[in-house]
Amino acid sequence: MAAIFMLFLKFFAGVALLALVVVLALLFDGADRVAHARMQRRVGPPVFQPVYDILKLAGKENIVPRRAARFFFMLAPWLALVSTLMVFLYIPVGSFPAVLGTEGDMILIVYLLALSGVAMAVGGFASGNPIASIGAGREITLMMSYEFPLAIVITTMAWVAHKCGMEGSPFSLETFAASSVWDAVGKAGDFGLLCLFLSLVFVVPGEIGKGPMDIPEAKTEILDGFIIEYSGVNLALFKITFALRSFAMAAFVTSLFVPASFAGLLGGWGFAAAVLDFLLYWVKVFVVQMVFVTLMRTAFGRLKIWQASRFYVMRVAGLSIAGMLLLSIDVLTR
Amino acid sequence: MITRMVPRLLKHICLRFVTNLFPAPHMPPSLTDALAEPAALTPPVPVGQRFRGRLNYDRAKCIGCRLCLRVCPANATDYIPEEKKILIHNDRCCFCAQCTEICPVKCLTMSGDCMISSYARKESVVTDTGPVQTDVKA
Amino acid sequence: MSTTYKVPIGPVHVGLKEPVTAWLELDGERIVGARVRPGAIHRGIEFMARERNPIQVIYLSERICGICSFSHVLCFIRAIEDLAGMTVPVRGQYIRTLVLELERVHSHLLWAGVACYTIGFDSAFHLGMQLRERVMDILELLTGNRVNYGVATFGGVRWDVTPELAKAMREMIRYYRREFTPFRDIVMDDPIAHARMRGVGVLTGEEAVRYSATGPTARASGLRIDLRKSSPYEAYGDIPVEPIVPQDHFGAARGDVLDRFAVRVMEVYQSLDVLEKVLDGLPEGPYAAEANLNKVLASLKKAEGTGWGIIEAPRGDDTHVVHLKGGDENVYWWKVRAPTYANAVSWPLMFRGNELADAPLIINSIDPCISCMERMMVTDGRGDPRVVTRAELLERCRRKTFDMMGRRA
Repeated sequence: MAAIFMLFLKFFAGVALLALVVVLALLFDGADRVAHARMQRRVGPPVFQPVYDILKLAGKENIVPRRAARFFFMLAPWLALVSTLMVFLYIPVGSFPAVLGTEGDMILIVYLLALSGVAMAVGGFASGNPIASIGAGREITLMMSYEFPLAIVITTMAWVAHKCGMEGSPFSLETFAASSVWDAVGKAGDFGLLCLFLSLVFVVPGEIGKGPMDIPEAKTEILDGFIIEYSGVNLALFKITFALRSFAMAAFVTSLFVPASFAGLLGGWGFAAAVLDFLLYWVKVFVVQMVFVTLMRTAFGRLKIWQASRFYVMRVAGLSIAGMLLLSIDVLTR
Repeated sequence: MITRMVPRLLKHICLRFVTNLFPAPHMPPSLTDALAEPAALTPPVPVGQRFRGRLNYDRAKCIGCRLCLRVCPANATDYIPEEKKILIHNDRCCFCAQCTEICPVKCLTMSGDCMISSYARKESVVTDTGPVQTDVKA
Repeated sequence: MSTTYKVPIGPVHVGLKEPVTAWLELDGERIVGARVRPGAIHRGIEFMARERNPIQVIYLSERICGICSFSHVLCFIRAIEDLAGMTVPVRGQYIRTLVLELERVHSHLLWAGVACYTIGFDSAFHLGMQLRERVMDILELLTGNRVNYGVATFGGVRWDVTPELAKAMREMIRYYRREFTPFRDIVMDDPIAHARMRGVGVLTGEEAVRYSATGPTARASGLRIDLRKSSPYEAYGDIPVEPIVPQDHFGAARGDVLDRFAVRVMEVYQSLDVLEKVLDGLPEGPYAAEANLNKVLASLKKAEGTGWGIIEAPRGDDTHVVHLKGGDENVYWWKVRAPTYANAVSWPLMFRGNELADAPLIINSIDPCISCMERMMVTDGRGDPRVVTRAELLERCRRKTFDMMGRRA
């Protein structure tokens, strides 16, 4: 009986969380556009513009190109959206544990994000447009480049959590949300963590296809790349997916590296602290998204795909390996 | 990662935007009603002193010499032989002010009026605007 | 099975400001072959000119191009003045130079912004557009319009530079000296902009000579060519202008997109210097030779012959050749060769060894003005445009010449 109750509770919590997350992601996307415009001394759209866009697109017809592979073309947006939404079931929000925290961990989050990226690429390949194929190819190339530093960051973090004896499973995000990993390591370790943090921050634009890494979409080169043939509801789904992906990456960075909470300060798990933490969490995500997504995408131009690939494989991977070595030295010599 | 652009962008947040605003923040439910109350709209950017807008035509002064027809690059002026007068199609006018220059009696002048688009073709035909006191280009 | 595939850039493309098609043959991202197909924006302006008198054609020539409109106007006017033997008062010449340089500043600023936009550097694009507003305001104060100024006429200009205007222009020059340098530094020191523009779209000096590139495109390849120096016109005889080549400022001329950017940026500073000298040396006196348009029209009706006008437009040298027939009020024939036409033939060379991502940047790097360029189009009468070969074209030209000689005789 209790198991069934828990199942229901999780189901309702999950549905409520996902609804909240979609709305917040779209609002954050609107805020991102306003901030982007203000940094360029423009007025920018209303904050609700992404919502209006989605509503408008949802009322429009899906057009399937004659040369498209219909099944995959229609499947890709749903697959991308669902896999991105599922990420939020594994991310703890403030002091609340993740809804499905017991069933999955960081590795799953990374691969859910990768799955949605692959779904986008599949949609591009399936649309039968050479420009969409180029965009999809670029998406896959970019993914292969940033997965390596991303994997190093996650495994190192898990190893540190395990070695430093942080509470909980080393691969679970709740471990990092509950206690600060910055406190767990020494001076050299802090530098190592900083390296890992920067690596992850550099991976963010690639993962969400914005900023200097908007190569798969590259408006002035390949005309929005893989979504060039999408329209109507399918395009709305992709737009939500894009907003969710940057939101998810910001949430992921926040959970892993910015664990500040009221509960930690007040030293208890009181209800008020939990609610405050819940709010604080979204504020943190907002700040992270503003700094590492909006500012990054406003301040830089676009790299070419081989330059981006080289940047990830050489520079960012080098930085993350340096972080790994520093942390190893710190943890092993204590 | 920190380039010259980043401090510049942060500075821009504190500055006022430079965009010229649209007349209305949103598409009004009725365009006609909105245009009926110009006070509620964002005013247009003021034009320069030498701006050349819609043509003024003082019909009484006109002597029907047809010189303006000769220099008009856009064929915006039509001659009415019965009355020995002209009429001006403002939607064809390219605002070069060549006709005002060649007019021997100066019955043609440029006004500063720039809001001249209209749905009705006939509204953009100028037949007579009466005597004009000031010349914008003076 | 071939491993290459074809992708069109244009005719309607976000990265291009005017319609032109480049069919790129790609191997992955690498360009292995390119065919440029213009022909989407031909308007038959020369034909329209044949039923208009020279004064009307001034405003027609203005509409050849929106950005370098004054260059086309002045070129046409100089061609007419050349054949009719008109003289221009010195003050008129100075004011013409003033507008030419103002136009160069706004054209180069626009191009610099668009180049940034093409590489996705939107913030720099908006910065460039904000900078450009100031010179547009000055042009509006001087001529009444932001584009298509309508300021030149035969034997001078139509509007004078008042002391207040001169003051506003000096203020503008100070504004640009202060505000333009940060923009230049932001773009030229940006690592990503550098990575995108350095070594892209290379045109060597030798090739620039062989393919007769002009203007900033040729100067970026290290050629010291500038009509303002080699064949001075208007006030450039009094105000010496040295061609700007990258080897003088950056050590070596590589002929890539960054060099073209740098040359245009340096030319903005040069234009500011020229503007200052023009304002300093602005002589007193009339600004137009003949105020009575009827007299001008009458003298042009009598004029007969072929006149040439060649000037340095912001994009390269612009050439107009006009023929007037005595007793005929209208322009008999008129030939326009816009700078883009000379520069566009080097596109296929610039595409060599570059990638798809570079293609819009390379197309934009010569500051193309497609509507300036498209001066001819062949159709089979059923609305199906096609390209004629050189031999065919020569044959058609000869036939046309014989026809016209026959009609004249």
